[in-house]
Amino acid sequence: MIVAEQKPLEEIRRMIAPYQRVLILGCGTCMTVCDAGGELEVSFLHNALQLAQARSGDVAHTFYEHTLKRQCDPEFLGLLDEKTADVDVILSLGCGIGVQAVAERLPDMPVLPGVNTSFMGMTKESGVWDERCAACGDCRLEDTAGICPITRCTKGILNGPCAGPKKGKCEANKDMDCAWILIYQRLERLQQLDKMRRYYPPRNYRPIPRPRRITSKAGTMAGEGNG
Amino acid sequence: MVNVANQSYPENRSENASDHSLVPPCQDACPLHMDIREYVGLVSQGRIMEALQVIRTGNPFPSICAYVCTHPCEDACRRSQVDKPIAIRSLKRFAVEFGGDRMVRAEAETKHAEKVAIVGSGPAGLACAYYLKKLGYAVTVLEAHSELGGMLRVGIPQYRLPREVLNIEVQRLIRMGVEIRTDTRVVSLDLLFELGYKAIFITIGAHQSLRMGIEGEESPGVIDGATFLREVNLGLKPSLGKRVAVVGGGNVAIDAARTATRLGIKKVSILYRRSRAEMPADPKEVEQALEEGIDIIYLVTPTIIKRENKRLNVTCVRMELGEPDESGRQRPVPIKDSVFIEKFDTLIAAIGQAPQTPSDFGVRIGRGSTIQVDPSTLTTNRVGVFAGGDAVTGPATVTEALAAGRLAALRIDDYLQHRYPLPVKETKEKLGGDLLPKTIEMIKKIERVEPPNLAFEARAKDFETVELVYGWEQAINEARRCLRCGVGVEILFQDKCATCLTCLRVCPYHVPYLDVSGTIRIPADQCQACGICVAECPAKAIVLRKPFDRRQVTDELGHTIKSAAESKNKPLIIGFCCQYGLYGTGTLARLWRGAKAGVSIVPVLCVAKVEATHLLSAFKTGAEGVFVAGCGEQCARENTTYWVKQRVAKVRKVLGSIGLEPERLQVFALSSTAEDPAEELDKFVEQIGSLRLASVIKGEVKS
Repeated sequence: MIVAEQKPLEEIRRMIAPYQRVLILGCGTCMTVCDAGGELEVSFLHNALQLAQARSGDVAHTFYEHTLKRQCDPEFLGLLDEKTADVDVILSLGCGIGVQAVAERLPDMPVLPGVNTSFMGMTKESGVWDERCAACGDCRLEDTAGICPITRCTKGILNGPCAGPKKGKCEANKDMDCAWILIYQRLERLQQLDKMRRYYPPRNYRPIPRPRRITSKAGTMAGEGNG
Repeated sequence: MVNVANQSYPENRSENASDHSLVPPCQDACPLHMDIREYVGLVSQGRIMEALQVIRTGNPFPSICAYVCTHPCEDACRRSQVDKPIAIRSLKRFAVEFGGDRMVRAEAETKHAEKVAIVGSGPAGLACAYYLKKLGYAVTVLEAHSELGGMLRVGIPQYRLPREVLNIEVQRLIRMGVEIRTDTRVVSLDLLFELGYKAIFITIGAHQSLRMGIEGEESPGVIDGATFLREVNLGLKPSLGKRVAVVGGGNVAIDAARTATRLGIKKVSILYRRSRAEMPADPKEVEQALEEGIDIIYLVTPTIIKRENKRLNVTCVRMELGEPDESGRQRPVPIKDSVFIEKFDTLIAAIGQAPQTPSDFGVRIGRGSTIQVDPSTLTTNRVGVFAGGDAVTGPATVTEALAAGRLAALRIDDYLQHRYPLPVKETKEKLGGDLLPKTIEMIKKIERVEPPNLAFEARAKDFETVELVYGWEQAINEARRCLRCGVGVEILFQDKCATCLTCLRVCPYHVPYLDVSGTIRIPADQCQACGICVAECPAKAIVLRKPFDRRQVTDELGHTIKSAAESKNKPLIIGFCCQYGLYGTGTLARLWRGAKAGVSIVPVLCVAKVEATHLLSAFKTGAEGVFVAGCGEQCARENTTYWVKQRVAKVRKVLGSIGLEPERLQVFALSSTAEDPAEELDKFVEQIGSLRLASVIKGEVKS
């Protein structure tokens, strides 16, 4: 899941300042799960902005709220059309993908990001999320016992551990487990310690040009360009 | 048994489509199908008058039920899986006495030309008269005895039902315009039809005592239970001698024994052929009888009675329990050579009663001398003749008789208006089943509050009521134990649900679960209706099942803002105060009264239902300060204060970022009854005053 956090209220207020009619647009998938931009947060932000406005006596914005099932699919965005007729700006509480998808769909509409898209991660406990994947496009979890050193090692090294860990914790952050110690322990459990003894050559970043595209269509012709 | 569970008086028939609440077990078990959860909830908020209104909607004579109901609702109460059932009958009695039931005036006008005769004035007859009168018919009640009430008058002893209570209900009926004819024994229905009655309801009860069928039963000194109680209740004082035996184990036997004690008999013994576990009498009554010094001899039955020297020599035989019979109870079997003789002055046989219907009535009689009727229409084989109550069911409870009376009134109305009698369909689903152990474990155990009893030294002397009524605080503490079965939450918008599992994680009772297909479920029969998941659901997919509960906080906030606007007083402080339990016991009322000018109180049903947006809305109206006041550790639910504090922290962050002091938002959570929330409020008002002043000065400096 994509994890994000809502931008500070001050920043959001600064962004919307030039516009009068603001549609706060929530996203019903990842942003709902990570408490950053679901229907509840949309309504909370709506109320907070109204309160800020009432207290400051600044420009009078008019706010509207709506939450889509998912902002990253054009068909869902099609449901937006009638909502945007009387709107000057969309404040999207979708992730960075959502914001761009909305912008692509509505060429004449300014779209503002209401959240800082942070990482891909998982729930640790209610209200706490941890990063787990860097989307490097070259997954080596087989060799590292299902624990990603690219994401979870501060240095992102492929042949760990470094000389730094103390009592299983990272030298950069005493509260964080050393990913390579975790990898060692798990490989030991799985009786695959031989994997520790191998040398992994540096990863080749060259063949990953951005932006990437994946297609599952069978009939795509070779050499078809991007965009 | 006449099934009346699905019947309700027309007032109750309107159904709200968005109401997804389920029928709780207590309501399902009540023959009158009363909205028990609703009135218990109102009592827990201290809203006694409204509780009485709910009670009166479902029950023609609540004050009578408050004394004598056998409370099948309490037997069905799911709280008994946690600790002990809610004391529903005692709460009803509290609502009836403190809510001013005797002041209630029932009014009715006659709209129809048809007259209806009711033969018998027991609970079924009186209930039928009440509802028929309300439906607009001219009603005549015919009673063979000198006073109205049937078994309520001649069967139930005064210490269980004060006659004053019965008289008030009878007076109310008379004031409604029901015609009463006492000392009138009906011998022929034809005569009634000739007199112009278009329909007749036979409710003559079951006054004929069953015979023991043993030698010497006819001897002087042997009397049957119903006759004995009737004589005492109508003011006679039968002479019983010194030692009295009562045969039987039902409520009538207990009533007879306790009545004999109150007539001054020192030695009263009950002979029962089974053991205490099989006794059909109300266990509470049995206990009170034992307290009063009545001797219960189990597993004994009399076989021969001989009268010698003005005393009774009763030959008894000891029994043991054998195979179960058709009633499911173990059949008592005599033990060989266990015969013994006891001497008594009087023997009261209370082994059961049956109706005795005059054959001239021409109605078909069935098993146990009861009148045969169609259970859904209460019609007999004679056109225009209906029957109900003990005369149809054999000896049953007062509440069942009231339900039969109500059903008869509705069906007689259908008959007279030439309507096909359509049964009222229950559209709501029933809620039942057991609570799961993991849920039970998390439910706070709160001891059942029993109403006080009259000290037993004082009891045996006269016919004073034994059970006393709750005090205000006792009643509210008892009522807040209710688990509110069937008004919990549901995932109303499955399409919105992102299966984020927030509900599963925040529920204090481990109710939501993932089914095998990975869909989140919140089983209605486990939900404790605390409302935490509703406020925390990031998709706003979860709602409370009752529309009223869904809107409550928003509506109350709206009222508060509106009334503040009308009074032209800008609200200085808005407080969300819990209305249950501790606050309901008068604290809330004191806050209302003590609230200084500019403090507005929004009553909420548990602070767990106050969402973060509600707090923002309160500030949006221009309030300088907002507080949430909950019951803290006194709350009957888990974790409520924790979640309020979470939401308050979130809103405080917003306040900070727009230049308002976070201290303007406070949580008051009482940890004991000794604390006075009014004091805390005073301090807060002062604090807000100084904060406001500070910000005014700051504003001036800026400009």
